Amino acid sequence: MKEKYISFLKEYILEIVILLIAIILIIFNPQKAYLGISNAFTTYLNLFLVILSVAFLTGFISEVVPKETIKKIIGKESGWKGILLGAILGTLMVGPAYVFYPFFREMINKGARINVIVTTISAWAIKVPWIPFAITLLGVKYVLFLNSLVFIYAIFSGFIVEYFVIHSKEEKA
Amino acid sequence: MQNLITGLILLIFTISLYVIYFRKDRSKVKKSIEKSKKIFVQNSVRLFAIFLIISLLDKFLSKEAVGNFLLKFSGLKGILLGDIVGAIMMGPIASGYPIAKYLFDHGAEVGLVSAFLLSWVMIGIIAIPVELKELGKKFTITRNILAFFSIIIISLIMEAIL
Repeated sequence: MKEKYISFLKEYILEIVILLIAIILIIFNPQKAYLGISNAFTTYLNLFLVILSVAFLTGFISEVVPKETIKKIIGKESGWKGILLGAILGTLMVGPAYVFYPFFREMINKGARINVIVTTISAWAIKVPWIPFAITLLGVKYVLFLNSLVFIYAIFSGFIVEYFVIHSKEEKA
Repeated sequence: MQNLITGLILLIFTISLYVIYFRKDRSKVKKSIEKSKKIFVQNSVRLFAIFLIISLLDKFLSKEAVGNFLLKFSGLKGILLGDIVGAIMMGPIASGYPIAKYLFDHGAEVGLVSAFLLSWVMIGIIAIPVELKELGKKFTITRNILAFFSIIIISLIMEAIL
C-alpha cells in the first residue's frame, strides 16, 4: 500500500505542485483564480476531441500497428519522404504540441525516426488553420516570411537534435 | 473552432481505424481500447494541470503589463527578452497574435515581436516536464536549446528583411 502511494506521488508530482499553487492563488485572489480555473475547463473541453483521439490513436499504434509499418512510413528508411510528411503534419495541426507528446513517444518506441518527430514538433509552430487570422492582425508579408523561416528551421532541427540524441548512447529516447 | 475541426477530423480518422481493424482482429482491438482508456485518463490529468497553470498565469499577468514591459527594450536585448518572456508565458496561439499586434501598434521592433511570438509557440517552460517524461532528457534539452537560439537567428533575419 505504501509503495503504491509513493509511485503515485512520483507519477503525479508536477500535477500536485500545480494544485498547491492553485490553492494558494485561490486564497490570495479568489476571483481571478476562479476565472483561471474556469478557463482551464474551457480549454480542456475545447481540446477534448483532440485529447480523446490522441489517446485512442496511441493505444491503437501500441497494440495493433506492427513496427514494420511505422518504420516504413516514418522510420530510418523513409528518408526525405518521412521528414516531409512529418513537417506537413506538424504545420496542419493545431492545439498545443505537448498534447501529442505521449503519442510521439509511442511512435519512437515503434521505430519512428527521431528526426521526423523533431521536425513535426518544430513545424507545429506553423499553424495553417490560424494563418488567415494571423494575416488579418499582422499582415501577409510578415506572416509568410515568419512561417517560411520556421519551416526551414523545422527541417534543420530534425537533423541536429537527432544527431545529439543518437550520439549519446546512455539514454533511450 | 479550429480546435474542434481538427478534433473532429482526428476522431473520425481514429474511429475508422478501429472499425476497419475490428473485422480483422477483435481481441487486439479490445486490448487497445483498454490501453487507450488508461492513456486517456493519464493524459487528461496531466494536460488539465498544464491548462490550469497557464490559465492562472494568464489571469494574474495582464497582456498589457507583459507588453509594456517588453516595449522598454529594443535591439538584441529586446529579441533576447522577447524570447525569454515568450517561453515563460505560454498559451494558446489565439492569444499570442493579439499580443504581437499590441506590441506592433506600440512601436516594438520586428525582431522583438518575432522572438516573442516564436517562443510563445515553440518553447514552453511549463510543458518541459512533460517533454522530459515522454521524450527523454537528451531530446528535450537539445530541442529546447536549439529552439531558443534559432528563434534569435530567425528574429534577426526578420528584422533585417522587413
